[in-house]
Amino acid sequence: MSLRHLWAIIRKEIHHIMRDRATFILVLLTPIAMLFLMAYALTVDIEHVPIAILDFDRSTTSRAFVQRITEGKDLDLYALVDTLEKVEALLLRGEIKAALVIAPTFEQDLVALRGMSLQIVIDGTEPESGGFAVEHIGGRAEEFLSEALASYIQTLDVSLDSLQPIDLRVRTLYNPSLKPRVDLIPGLISMVLGFPALSVALTLAHEREHGTLEQVMATPVGRAELLLGKMIPYVIVGLINVIVIPAVARLTFRIPFNGSFPLFFLLSAVFLFALLSMGMILGVFIRTQPAALALSFLVIFFPGFFLTGIFFPIASMPEIMRLESLGLPGTHYAIITRGLFLTGVGLDVLWPYSVMLMGLGIAFTMVGALFFKKKLG
Amino acid sequence: MLKWTSCVRRIWSLSIKEFIHLINDWWMPAFMLFGGVIELLLVGWATSRPITNLPLMVLDRDQSAASRTVVTALENTGTFALKALAPDMETIQDALERGQINAAVIIPPDFDNEVASPIGRPTLAILLNGAESIPATAALRAIEGVASDMGEGVILERLGLEPDDFAGFAPSLRVWFNEALSEALYTTPAELGLMLEFTTLLFAALSFSRERELGTLEQLLVMPFSSMEIIVGKSIPVILVGFFDFVLMLSMVHVAFGVPVRGSLPLLLILALGYLLVELGKGMVISVMSRTQHQAFLVVMMVGMMDFMFTGYAAPVESMPQIVQQVANVIPAYHWLTILRGVLLKGVGLEVLWPNVLALAILGLVIGTFSLRYVRRALN
Repeated sequence: MSLRHLWAIIRKEIHHIMRDRATFILVLLTPIAMLFLMAYALTVDIEHVPIAILDFDRSTTSRAFVQRITEGKDLDLYALVDTLEKVEALLLRGEIKAALVIAPTFEQDLVALRGMSLQIVIDGTEPESGGFAVEHIGGRAEEFLSEALASYIQTLDVSLDSLQPIDLRVRTLYNPSLKPRVDLIPGLISMVLGFPALSVALTLAHEREHGTLEQVMATPVGRAELLLGKMIPYVIVGLINVIVIPAVARLTFRIPFNGSFPLFFLLSAVFLFALLSMGMILGVFIRTQPAALALSFLVIFFPGFFLTGIFFPIASMPEIMRLESLGLPGTHYAIITRGLFLTGVGLDVLWPYSVMLMGLGIAFTMVGALFFKKKLG
Repeated sequence: MLKWTSCVRRIWSLSIKEFIHLINDWWMPAFMLFGGVIELLLVGWATSRPITNLPLMVLDRDQSAASRTVVTALENTGTFALKALAPDMETIQDALERGQINAAVIIPPDFDNEVASPIGRPTLAILLNGAESIPATAALRAIEGVASDMGEGVILERLGLEPDDFAGFAPSLRVWFNEALSEALYTTPAELGLMLEFTTLLFAALSFSRERELGTLEQLLVMPFSSMEIIVGKSIPVILVGFFDFVLMLSMVHVAFGVPVRGSLPLLLILALGYLLVELGKGMVISVMSRTQHQAFLVVMMVGMMDFMFTGYAAPVESMPQIVQQVANVIPAYHWLTILRGVLLKGVGLEVLWPNVLALAILGLVIGTFSLRYVRRALN
């Protein structure tokens, strides 16, 4: 391996990147833009869910209950209706996501302590909003119930204290609000850095389409030099993103960064090396850019989304998938980024994942170089 | 008449040329057809599986019958894999920091006494690893369930009531259109709609950018084709493959996840074709704007992701800021997803969906006209 050859390839690649300004800007901006679009789209707080209320009781108690439920910005009263048919029509048109039906005996039943005669109807095609409405109404109903029970309890001659259910003292470490956004953003970094990896695959495929790969191979540049020289500029592009992302995450979404930044930078470089080697393998096998695009989804993006534990916990996966997730660089990197952003741990905790990343990177590069030789030979 | 037939013949030969390309470079069409299916399987799988097997630690300082009931109840939820009974707080803290457990439950020494005493207030301390909020939330729900079941039992005993007396106090729940509240029924149609958009956009966006990058666009332009014929010839394969993709994905979600088609299937197919034409228009504009395939791809990803945000698939649109809700109305995918869910799950037809169909038609007209003029000008 000659540094001079390597440098020549890097310069050629950088020249290619810079010559096409539009692509360069896109390559640089796509990961950040994608990260924030995804983070925003996936983590909107549910509020203002439109509901309809069908009050058969029309008593002071039922009106007070309706008042209680529609307070605040969680549920919006879209309509007070008088028949079930109207509820159905509104649900069909998607104008409401849930409806509350209050039975004619609501007040009587509550006074006589026979129960809460309520029915909640939700639109199962959008269970997020519907489930939220159920939770909200259930919570308010419980409050209402204990207020109604309070007088009855006093007649029983027991104190309210004995009616407290088990007291849960919950402490959430590292992300006290339990907002998904806080850990999703560090997790998604591994996903959006797939774009530089794809770029590597595309440039190799591009050289093949144009028949320029043979020209490069006819020069005294070696295979490894060529592959590394093609990778390094995109590692740099990725690292620029790695610098910008924590800053933007902090400013826009108030995501903390509790670990060591130099360590984050270093391990991100290792991750990029591993991931870009995967892109390189694609580029070695594939002759055209559309094919490289198609394969990159199957190899980099889909597994990066579903199998790295960003959304679905690895512990809950079947055995075979758990093994597969170990072979994906994103799995280890997601643990590292969460550890550095949120938990604030150091290399003493993160070293096994770092070693795995390095190992995967070396293995992928070797596979790439090996097949590259065969393909050309 | 003669002019007309020769025009059709020229378009025909152009389409044939496109299909030959597709067969020679079969990865892209294969991905268009089966990539969506694979993605749908992954999404359906991930969303229909319960969260189980979460590593949990318990520190039992009480060592009583009551505390052991708690531990058993936690195990019986199926959510947890009890890692170990921790000897002390340090072990728990360390495991949390290393991310080895998602949650820990600490049972204080007086738990048993508090349960037994008529005015006692039993406490459980919970530690959650917020660095993984999705499993942490699932863990919290499961623990809350255990605590409220147990608490209810304690209260009933103290008041000397029978469990049946309490039965009517929870509101009854009815779910329409998706009675079993299956997540897959909700996610897979939305995912299907979105995959159709991504693949069609990508395919259309590559059509001209690829020829331009390879330098074959000039050859095409000097041939005796009008720009209109070139556009139509390039569009036919996109529409055909996209439509076939839709039918394939629809059959897949129907068979694998039991997604019903409660409305009219012919109506859905016609509207799908219309929607494909709208996305085709967008893709063609991206295609002539981009100088390379790389650019075209990156722009498609951004546009697709932007649409994803406005479709209400990931999060309900009505919870978003007013301005976002306004923008959603001019996103074709937003109306398309409403139509798709409406026909598949709610079984409604044009009588309910006409506003969305109308909006899609208007958007299609605007995007189509702009696209045609823009692409023709770029080609000339």
